[in-house]
Parts: sequence; structure tokens; C-alpha cells
Amino acid sequence: MAMHDVAVVGYAETKIVEKADRDIWELQADILESLLEKTGFEKNEIDGLILSSSMTGAGNAFWSQTTADQLALELDFCQTVDIGGCSPTGALARACMAIDAGMCTTVLCLYADTQASEANRQRPRSAFGEWQQPTGYLGPPAAFGLLSKRYEHQFGLDFSALAKLAVAQRGHAVLNDLACEKLRKPITIDDYLNSRMIADPVRLLDSVMVCDGASGLLVTSKKNAEKRGIAKCVVPVGYGERTNYRARDNIVDITETGHLPAGARAFAQAGLKASDIASFHPYDDFIIAIMLQLEMLGFCKHGQGCDFIHAHDFTHTGDLPLNTGGGQISAGQAGLAGGGTNLIEAVRQLFGEGGKRQVKNTKNALVTGIGGIPYGRNWQSSVVMILTPNA
Amino acid sequence: MSAQQDAIKDTLAVKREPPQWRTFSKTYWDATREKKLLLQYDPRAKRYQHYPRPAGIVTGHRALEWREVTGKGEIFSYTIARLTREPFAGHEPFFLVLVTLDEGVNVMANMVSCGMDDMKIGLRVRPHWAPLSNGTHLLMFEPDR
Repeated sequence: MAMHDVAVVGYAETKIVEKADRDIWELQADILESLLEKTGFEKNEIDGLILSSSMTGAGNAFWSQTTADQLALELDFCQTVDIGGCSPTGALARACMAIDAGMCTTVLCLYADTQASEANRQRPRSAFGEWQQPTGYLGPPAAFGLLSKRYEHQFGLDFSALAKLAVAQRGHAVLNDLACEKLRKPITIDDYLNSRMIADPVRLLDSVMVCDGASGLLVTSKKNAEKRGIAKCVVPVGYGERTNYRARDNIVDITETGHLPAGARAFAQAGLKASDIASFHPYDDFIIAIMLQLEMLGFCKHGQGCDFIHAHDFTHTGDLPLNTGGGQISAGQAGLAGGGTNLIEAVRQLFGEGGKRQVKNTKNALVTGIGGIPYGRNWQSSVVMILTPNA
Repeated sequence: MSAQQDAIKDTLAVKREPPQWRTFSKTYWDATREKKLLLQYDPRAKRYQHYPRPAGIVTGHRALEWREVTGKGEIFSYTIARLTREPFAGHEPFFLVLVTLDEGVNVMANMVSCGMDDMKIGLRVRPHWAPLSNGTHLLMFEPDR
């Protein structure tokens, strides 16, 4: 996959809000307009559309076509990516593939969800109803409760380490005007430790809050970007994706995730290793997911995440800046489009447009995704992408 | 940590809708009418599997057997559900557990007759069948004292 022949030439983001008072197609139109204004592209130059999954769109089996019709886009490539929270980064990888394969030239990657105000998830066809719902299992918090207890059993779990990550991300959200206002208040280690239990040992301040919002990227071939004289762009240089890690095993170590193989592939493609990473933008639905990803991606050994966290500074001026916009936990989770929050922040940093929270080292950025929670495991899809500025 | 000291509840009084079975899981639910636990067994892989799938998870072949098992096992992990929706509201906090059956599969379930202090990873458990309104039963676990 020749991803480095593709350029991300623009990014856009709406404010994340507790409940949208505007229609999802209006939010998407905001993203489209913003991308056109920022990049100088004409609307008719967009010949590819890739949407991430959306709870609002979930009842519509024709989601990408209907959205393309609303935005009046004439396309040679049109699809929705349905790997849950991995969809935004997965969409960018698929945009690279489509452009590289010659199917289209310029792709709008559009991530929007208004799950908080309009969820249209009818009867989900999954194992949930038959095997999990009867236990009172509420989904992600319970899954992360089971995972955290198991981690504690295998390795021990220092909650003050997890607290440190929560505090760092919250500090970043305070600097991010687009973060959900309700979350833009600093927190302390004690606030985290004293926040109420949701699914022991998962606390309120471990968890994302479901919100509404939209984001997007405009992606074109590097050749096209050069022809147009676009100097500032971001290039994906490594990508790995794994769905249903160890699917053929009945019992798996739920502290080990698909980021292990996905990360190895992304690093190999990029010719980089964990210690080369300049800023880290992992998918964060629960704080412990960040620590597991640090372990799986090789920042530290499996089981040693807490020690690693205590030894490093995750603020935007630190040695490993983490989710510098606040991540989803502190900026708000824009439904199934929430992975766009981590991705767009990484692109913004590499554009050098981080403002008050700009990181110093913009040699690269690492973004991840987590998507779907299956029966008795950790998560279904894991993606890892390494981005660099067009140097 | 006063929340930790709240008495844990069981969920036996929850009015659950009987789960919708699928064509390939009906045998499991039918057996629960007699409080029998059946697991799918793939003779090619010589492995049990759960939850029931349309094909063997190792081989992809569809010639699966149903075998009755004791349902004994041990706690693989647990959490305490404190946020609930109907019909569980008012029945929290309660245990959600993953149990590793002796046959080598993990099962998600609730616990009965198990206090906060009894619960630990590795605790031996045995089945407890909770009746559902259509005559089938839901598999729960209790400590195997």
C-alpha cells in the first residue's frame, strides 16, 4: 500500500456539544464548507466520499448514498466504514487505498454523529440481545470493568497512574475551544480517585460522555497536492488494522489487544519504533485503554504500563504529549464519529496549528482506534496509523 | 469507599424478557427447560465453544455436536454493575462475571448467593438456573462451596 503517495490537505471540526440542536447533515455541510474554504478545492473536485459509522445513520442501510445526495456530491467512490470507533482512521486508510488504486482522486472523509440527540439504532443484530442483555450488562463500562479487574489480578493496577492520564487529558481540553464546555474544568488526581464507581473498578472519570459532533479530512494524491502548490499537508506512512484478534480462541488474555499486530505492521511500514513517536493520540473510551495501548504498541512491556505512566510527562509540553485536544474522555465523544477527535488533533498538530497546546516535536504523530465490544473479550477492531508532515 | 460496602444484590427478581434464540442456538435454550447446560463441540478441532455460533470457531465447519456439561468452573473476572437500565433498575449493585468453565470456554453471567467478600478471581462456581417466563432458564452461577 503506497500510502505515502497520498496527502491529507485539510481538516475540519465542529464544536463537540452535549446535544446537537442542528441536524447531522447540517453538521456535515459545515465540515464540507470548512474544508473547501481551507484548501481552495472546488466541490466538484471531490470524487470520493467515505463516512464513518454513525448511530444517527444506523437505521439507514443507504447511509453513504443518502448523505452524498444531501450534499449533492457526484462520486466515483462512496462508502461507509463500519468498524465502530476505528471507522474515522479506517476511513482515511481506505481513502489512501482508493486513491492509490486509481478509483478516485480526492476523497472527503466525513465523520459525524448526533447519537446524543438522535440515535436510530433499531434492533442491533449482534450477540448482545441473546447472551449479554439478560445479565444486565450495559456494554462498554461493564466490559472495561471486567477487563480492569483482570488486569489488576494479573499485574496489579495503580489507580494513581490512570489518574495522571485523566488529569493530563483534562488539562488539554481546557485549552481546546472545541471541547464540550461541560468538561472544560481542570481535575486533580483526587477528583479522579474519588469519582464514583460505575462498574468497579471503572470510575466516572475513567469514562467518555456521549456527545454530538462532526469532523473531517480532505485527502488527495500527493501529485495533485503538489500540482496545486499545496505545501502544507500530512502523509500517512504506516497503518495496521486487526479485527477480532484471536477470534479462534475461546479464552483470551483480555489485557492483550489487536493493537499488538496492528501496531507492529504500522511501525514496520513507517520504519519507526515507539520511542520515535513525537505525540500520541490513542482512542480513549476509558482511561485504561490508553495504558493498554502504550503496552501493546511497545512504549513499555505488557503489564508495566503504570510504571511507564509515572515516568513520563503526557502534557503538551511533556516528553510524550497525549491526546492534546483532551481526547474523547475530556473533549466529549461525538458518538461513533468520536475517533475523529483523536485523528483530527494529530493532523492539526502536524499542521503546526495547535495554538496554545501546540507540541514542539512535529516529526510524526501516532493515532489509534478501538471499535466494537464483543462477548467476553476486549474489543473487536484495533487500528494504528502513523502520520508525518509533508517534509 | 462507602459505595464498596453497599450490600451486593442478586438479580433473581428482575423480570427479564426471554432472549430471542437463533436457528443455530435453539438447542441450547431448549435444553435449559430441564436445567441442562449444552455446549457446542467441534469434533474436528476437539474443542468446545461458547456462545453458540453457526460454525466451528477453529475450523469453520458446521458439523458441531451438542454436549451436556456440568457447568462448573471458576471466576475469570468480575465487575459490579452500578449503572443499570430497565428492567434492572433498583436491583443494583450486582455482579457481572466471566466464568471459565472446566471445558475451557468463558461464559458471561450474574451471581447468586455470593457476597462482596466471597468474590475473587479464581473462585470455584457451579450453575444456578433462573427461570424465565417461557419455561427456559437463564444460566447464573453460585459459589461451589
